[in-house]
Amino acid sequence: MLFRNKTITSVLSLSLVATLALAGCSSKNDKNGNEASKPADNGQASEKASEKPAKDVTISYTIWDKNQQPAMEAIAKEFTAQNPNIKVKVEVIPWGDYWTKMSAAAPAGTLPDVFWMHGGQFIKYATGGFLEPITDKVQSGIIDLNNYAANLGSIYTLDGQNYGIPKDFDTIGLAYNKELFDQAGVPYPDDTWDYNKLAEVAKKLSQPDKGIYGFAAKMDTQTGYWNDMLANGGHILSDDQTKSGYDEPASIEALKFRYQMTLDKSSPTHQQMTDTDSTDMFKSGKLAMIFEGSWRNGDIDSSEIIHGKWNWAPLPKGKVKRGNIINGLGNVMSAKGKNKDESSLFLQFLGSKRASEITAEMGAAIPAFNGTQDAWVKSKPDLNLQIFIDQVADAFPYPSGTKAYPVWFAKEPEIMSQAWGGAISVEDAAKKVADMMNQAIADNK
Amino acid sequence: MNEGVMAMNTKSRYAWAYVMIAPTLIGTLLFWSWPAVYSIYLGFLKSENFGLVNHWVGTQNYEKLFKDQEFWRNLRNTLFYMVLFVPLTLVCSTVLAVLLNAKIRGRSTYRVIYFLPQVTMPAAAAMVWVVLFAQDYGLVNYALGTHVSWLSDPRFAMYSLVIVGVWAAIGFNMLLILAGLQGIPRTLYEAAEIDGAVGFNKFRYITLPLLTPTLFFTTIVLMIGATQVFDSIYMLIGKTNVALPAVRSLVYAYYQNAFVYYDQNYGAAIVNILLLVNLVLTGVQFLFQKKWVVYD
Repeated sequence: MLFRNKTITSVLSLSLVATLALAGCSSKNDKNGNEASKPADNGQASEKASEKPAKDVTISYTIWDKNQQPAMEAIAKEFTAQNPNIKVKVEVIPWGDYWTKMSAAAPAGTLPDVFWMHGGQFIKYATGGFLEPITDKVQSGIIDLNNYAANLGSIYTLDGQNYGIPKDFDTIGLAYNKELFDQAGVPYPDDTWDYNKLAEVAKKLSQPDKGIYGFAAKMDTQTGYWNDMLANGGHILSDDQTKSGYDEPASIEALKFRYQMTLDKSSPTHQQMTDTDSTDMFKSGKLAMIFEGSWRNGDIDSSEIIHGKWNWAPLPKGKVKRGNIINGLGNVMSAKGKNKDESSLFLQFLGSKRASEITAEMGAAIPAFNGTQDAWVKSKPDLNLQIFIDQVADAFPYPSGTKAYPVWFAKEPEIMSQAWGGAISVEDAAKKVADMMNQAIADNK
Repeated sequence: MNEGVMAMNTKSRYAWAYVMIAPTLIGTLLFWSWPAVYSIYLGFLKSENFGLVNHWVGTQNYEKLFKDQEFWRNLRNTLFYMVLFVPLTLVCSTVLAVLLNAKIRGRSTYRVIYFLPQVTMPAAAAMVWVVLFAQDYGLVNYALGTHVSWLSDPRFAMYSLVIVGVWAAIGFNMLLILAGLQGIPRTLYEAAEIDGAVGFNKFRYITLPLLTPTLFFTTIVLMIGATQVFDSIYMLIGKTNVALPAVRSLVYAYYQNAFVYYDQNYGAAIVNILLLVNLVLTGVQFLFQKKWVVYD
């Protein structure tokens, strides 16, 4: 009997452990992200809101790009030098977690005082009343949205109210590895190139047995086939944003053209690019050409392997025009912050010419303030950064700005990966995406 | 006076007992029971504005769910995974437990080896499996002389997941069964030997029947665990894998809907169905336990 008792004890104690393990597992699955609702330390717990401007306060400024942290801290430092009673704590939440954390912080009332906003997410936060409007300041002329390039101020405007000050903008370029071109004796890409030339050279530069490929025909939107679709005369969304453009024949043709390069071995396969990020392949010298955004410039150049051996060219011309996507980030402030007066001062400073100059000189991003872009172009004199500014004229605005965007944008890669992985045809995938987008638009009117 | 002290003592002992279980109890209620109840409620809502505005929509989410072919495929995937995973894990764990219960040299070492997956970080283990299963330079293809994309070919991905799942689960279940084995009195085997029982018969007529309570418990826990498969799909397959639709489980679909597509209500409907499936499966097990579980 002694033995039986021992069994029961061990089984019971083990079952307790198992229950706990299960409990841990279930709670992880059922919590609906409440885990993330832990208020980010916004540095104001010990500070009391005060009417007197002389009172010391610390405000939080949250961003998602670690590469830009030094520049943002430099701006904050200069702001504190001008306003000694206001300290700014810059915090980075990586892009992958940023919106999950923000969507938990918004209803909990714990959004950072000032934070980066993306065009695709803006509508949700603005309609929910989580952002403090800056319309008064725009109307009274304290903030002049005409100071910012490419009509960027309009991205963060909803129903006549202004919420955001443009921070920067980005366009897409063709990065190429000079060494691989030199070895093959092929001239570097220039503004005469079209897509056929791109495919032809990509084929020529590929040496699949050595793991070297001419071009990364990646399954990607902003730095991938959206540019191709536009260049070929297709659309991502119709101009009035009510209908998907994925199923237009010109869009499908562009998608097929790109996918073909993975079949021709001019590009790594979808599987290879899933295993290793294609920009990392470029950084390790395994790729001759890739489309990338201006925001990756500093990151790519930091690779010791290709530093000094690469450059930028404009995207190739398509059948109809040169395609490109322009997007702009904005700075916004929380409607529920405790130190709104101080936050508002900081927001204004972020939109100043001086803040843009710091952004430019440190090479963080293309600043939004007119006339400061040159400093960014000169921040890396050996790289042809001018192509990003020149392509603004050809560029199409990033197709966000509707409530449907976050929904269809999240679902799009799953369908397209079926085509890139070879399970369904590109044409079927494009039509499926179009149906899905149209449904999302109808559901989110 | 004496009685008063006694009562105080009993009272304070009870109070202490409650204090001691409070962390577990509060944790369980707050992070397990409450979200489960709230999920049921969420399934009948349409939430807007980050859940601050909720509309009661009745069974609308479920109507959409039952018309969704993807949902049925995910349910099939989940059950298929369970049907492969549970028996395989049970058989492997039992065989190993019986072997490691024998007096063999270095059995503690073997026990540690088989238990190691349990204490390895799942993410780290997954990365090793990704390398093993790799199409071009993977050890699995090298050993078999094949060139198969184990994790991104829809025909094979599910089996690869089951292998990783079984590998990870064997250690812990082996331990459970080992505990059960050690509770079987030696005297029974001695009596059987006197009666002339040998080898496999001892296993068949003594070990197995007396192990059934442990096996019953293990089966239930394994089945519930199998229907909640998520992390291996997330780590080994990933969202842009062409094989995802062939292996997507209900919990993975829940994650996608609730956290990627921002539709908590549809996600809640999915996990509520899963809860129902688990209740039914466990209920059926308890009904049939009389047929095969031996309690002395």
